[in-house]
Amino acid sequence: MSEPDVFGALANPTRRAVLRLLLDEGEQPVQRLADHFAMRRPSLSEHLRVLKDAGLVVERPAGRQRLYSLRPEPLREVADWLDPYERFWRARLTALRDVLEDLPDE
Amino acid sequence: MSDPSTVSVDQYLPHPPTTVWRALTDSDLLGRWLMPNDFAPVVGHRFTFRTDPRPGQEFDGTVHCEVLDLDPPRLLRWAWRGGRLDTVVTWTLVAEGKGTRLFLDHAGFDPDDPVQQRTRDLLGGGWRSHVLRRLTETLTSPTP
Repeated sequence: MSEPDVFGALANPTRRAVLRLLLDEGEQPVQRLADHFAMRRPSLSEHLRVLKDAGLVVERPAGRQRLYSLRPEPLREVADWLDPYERFWRARLTALRDVLEDLPDE
Repeated sequence: MSDPSTVSVDQYLPHPPTTVWRALTDSDLLGRWLMPNDFAPVVGHRFTFRTDPRPGQEFDGTVHCEVLDLDPPRLLRWAWRGGRLDTVVTWTLVAEGKGTRLFLDHAGFDPDDPVQQRTRDLLGGGWRSHVLRRLTETLTSPTP
């Protein structure tokens, strides 16, 4: 499958914990993330690679470190899939806003 | 917010509640942004919305509704039944600045529905209700 596998990336509890840490604490180096997990750093790096391939995290070099941060955009797709009604109502409310544009206020 | 049986959405609209109320309770206007209907603003009135059928969800394209509450221009509540759904839609209008904050709560979804169940198993614990919601909120551009 050539499309990024967001669902596959989210299906793993360690990777979800990494995303939660990045959400709560912001951008950080891999070593600080590793402090939260009882696993060897190469294993964590592999999880980060999966998250990066799914487009859920981005990394950038800073000196000798690599800093990781969250990229939440792909989660919109997941949210839409989880909540088709939320998507339905958001679209309808946008249509309502357009209808109101044509109405005189009383 | 985190109740899996309720979908909640809100929207700021730059119009006073009386104008928004009209768009919610005039059958023709309602048809323009939601679906064709025979709504009338009378408690107890039974009406339908018509849309495309979705056979996969056992939905024949008709939403059977009933006006449960009507408090102009503050609150409007409908029963919303169709396919496997037996739910309640509540509109709440709150004046905000020169406009209106419109809240929608669509309640009564079955958290034990197999599709939802599988998704919860996949994502685990409070991930869907808390983390994912916060994440998607960060994507929603703030309204004025």
